[in-house]
Amino acid sequence: MKLLKRFRIQNIVGFLMGSIFISGLFAPSVYAAEPLKIGLGMALTGGLAAAGKPAKLSIEIWRDDVNKNGGIMGRPVEIIVYDDQTKPSNVPAIYGKLLDVDKVDFVVSGYGTNLIVPAMPIVMDRNMVFMTLFGLAANEKFEYENYFQIMPSGPNPLTDWSEGFFKLASEQNPKPKTIAILAADSEFALNTAKGARMNSKKYGFEIVYDGKYPPGTPDFTPIVRAIKAKNPDIFYVGSYPPGSVGIVKAAKEIDLSPKMIGGGMVGLQYTSIQMNLGKTLNGIVNYWFWAPEPTMKFTGIEAFLSKYQSEAVKYKYDPLGYYLPPFAYAYVQLLGKAIEGAQSFEQQKVADYIRNNAIDTVVGKVSFGKNGEWAKSRALQVQLQNIQGNSIDEFNRAGKMIVLHPEEVKSGNLIYPFPGWQ
Amino acid sequence: MLLFLGAFLITQNFHNQYYYLAAFTVLQYIILSQGWNILGGYTGYVNFGTGAFFGVGAYTSAMIVKTFKIGKSAPFLELPILFIAGGLVAALLGLGLGYLTMRIKGIYFSISTLALAFVTVTIILNIDALGGATGLYIIRPRKIPFFTNYMEFLFLVMVALSIFAVAFARYIENSWIGRGLSAVRDDEDAAECTGVPVLKLKVFATMASSTLMGVAGAAYPYFVTFLEPISTVSLDVGVNSLAMPLIGGTSTWAGPLVGAVLLGIIQQIALVTLSPEYSLLVIGILLVSFVILAPEGIVGLFRKFRASLKK
Repeated sequence: MKLLKRFRIQNIVGFLMGSIFISGLFAPSVYAAEPLKIGLGMALTGGLAAAGKPAKLSIEIWRDDVNKNGGIMGRPVEIIVYDDQTKPSNVPAIYGKLLDVDKVDFVVSGYGTNLIVPAMPIVMDRNMVFMTLFGLAANEKFEYENYFQIMPSGPNPLTDWSEGFFKLASEQNPKPKTIAILAADSEFALNTAKGARMNSKKYGFEIVYDGKYPPGTPDFTPIVRAIKAKNPDIFYVGSYPPGSVGIVKAAKEIDLSPKMIGGGMVGLQYTSIQMNLGKTLNGIVNYWFWAPEPTMKFTGIEAFLSKYQSEAVKYKYDPLGYYLPPFAYAYVQLLGKAIEGAQSFEQQKVADYIRNNAIDTVVGKVSFGKNGEWAKSRALQVQLQNIQGNSIDEFNRAGKMIVLHPEEVKSGNLIYPFPGWQ
Repeated sequence: MLLFLGAFLITQNFHNQYYYLAAFTVLQYIILSQGWNILGGYTGYVNFGTGAFFGVGAYTSAMIVKTFKIGKSAPFLELPILFIAGGLVAALLGLGLGYLTMRIKGIYFSISTLALAFVTVTIILNIDALGGATGLYIIRPRKIPFFTNYMEFLFLVMVALSIFAVAFARYIENSWIGRGLSAVRDDEDAAECTGVPVLKLKVFATMASSTLMGVAGAAYPYFVTFLEPISTVSLDVGVNSLAMPLIGGTSTWAGPLVGAVLLGIIQQIALVTLSPEYSLLVIGILLVSFVILAPEGIVGLFRKFRASLKK
């Protein structure tokens, strides 16, 4: 019995030692590839969560795509995301945690100017690359050389944003003469209205109405009536989603039909709002970032959208995801490609690579100018045409969101003047 | 003094930025909740408008930074100037509020303070010099002598301010002013009849409370580097400054301190550990639990426990 016990103990000890030895042999291959950690704060609750959640999903799709292909320079990508709750005051601590506790290799920004800027001093202190998502002129005051912003607003974000709209208007015959500008009293809308004023001057339009409305305005009829009384040739609107819907409905109700309407309306790009407004959208000319037109089929965009759309249904996110998701995918994709291009994980080398090279992404070839914005604006001006109803099929194919500007991705012609409300 | 020296030694030997950034928010709430408690706890006037005083302090400080650029010539002098200015302007707002609303009591006073927060947002939105809705950028210095990072210096200054706020609240509580404020809280008419200068005390409490809130706000621009009215004059600030003393206990200076440290730390931990939905849920459950289980706050609970031990 004693012998049996000893035998068993000897066997167990031998087995354990053998296991340790064998695992030691294999250990290097298991632990060699230390994950490449990329950290960010994102609005997953609060006012911007509807945009932040699909953005997070897009980043995760990129991570999975990269990891399926062996990671970046052999390192699997790990994404660490914290919810900034759409509160700027949460951002500094989140980036502090990412950098000093989680020891991430790279950081990228959350969504929007308000949530990008609070992270800037922390990122700047460490001279890190900072890829950012949809900040409007956020680097103007910091002038940080390693800041790169993925929204294609261009080197002069204030004016480039609406440049296409005004250029199109100025090319019409007879040329429109007067313009009404209306903007929500909020950061983005006021900036776009400011740019519109500058472009009005540049292209020689007389401003006959220049007003703003408080966010949360429930009824736009009195404002739109006041604009109608001025009889402008162009109606330029800078608005957020609730205002965009309210203004379109009010303009239709009182039949405000200038020769061109739209410009800087956020929300018309969202599938839910498109399905809500349906035919009413026909004829509106507005900024856009991506549309399913033949001229916009960049490498990988369709594969990404197909993955995004199958996941988005589960979580009830924007079912088409044409507005933010491709750019959320692209800003991490660009970072990954820059690391591979520079063949280095060093911040400065990666930043130099981004600065000096045009990089292919799902939103096209991107190169950056001195202030970290796109070297050349690709803010699209799109006219909604041929929409017959409110079904999602009206918006997921070519021929509905016609790209009018810029010339290199133009997919159709402007219907001018505005054909009237349907 | 020992606490301050300890904090100074920490900044000289420990350079993990995360803890300074997280601690900044907790310290900010220690000052805010002490401020809130002077009016809400000692005097019994519930203020929902903390955001307004905090915002006024923040915008005052931001405008001074942008206009005078003191930081370049006198980096160590800049923050004290900002705090004094932020506190003074907030105190003036408190004086105005005190005179205008001190004849209103209870829920009507609370609603008027809430209205003050909305009015403040509207005013800032409509003044272009304050950045309006587009906001203001405040770029904090990247370096300061004796510290490896400006955030460490900001942390140290916030420690000093928090010690001051607690000492100030403790002084008020233990002086004749505190006894007068308690008399006002318990029965205003009776206090008036017994010779307590009710109106003067109430105006003083409003001013003292708003000064601390303004001082807390004055440090905020250098922390967040971007001010816009909606998130600066936020209801969150008001709710947190109210919840912290309620959780800690409103009758003594220790209550807001305990509440701010506890809730502030929990919020900071939840921010980077729990998923967003759970984070909000846990904090919500904690608040409700404390209100039900410890209506006099943690300090009240502790006192009861000590009394039962003596028996």
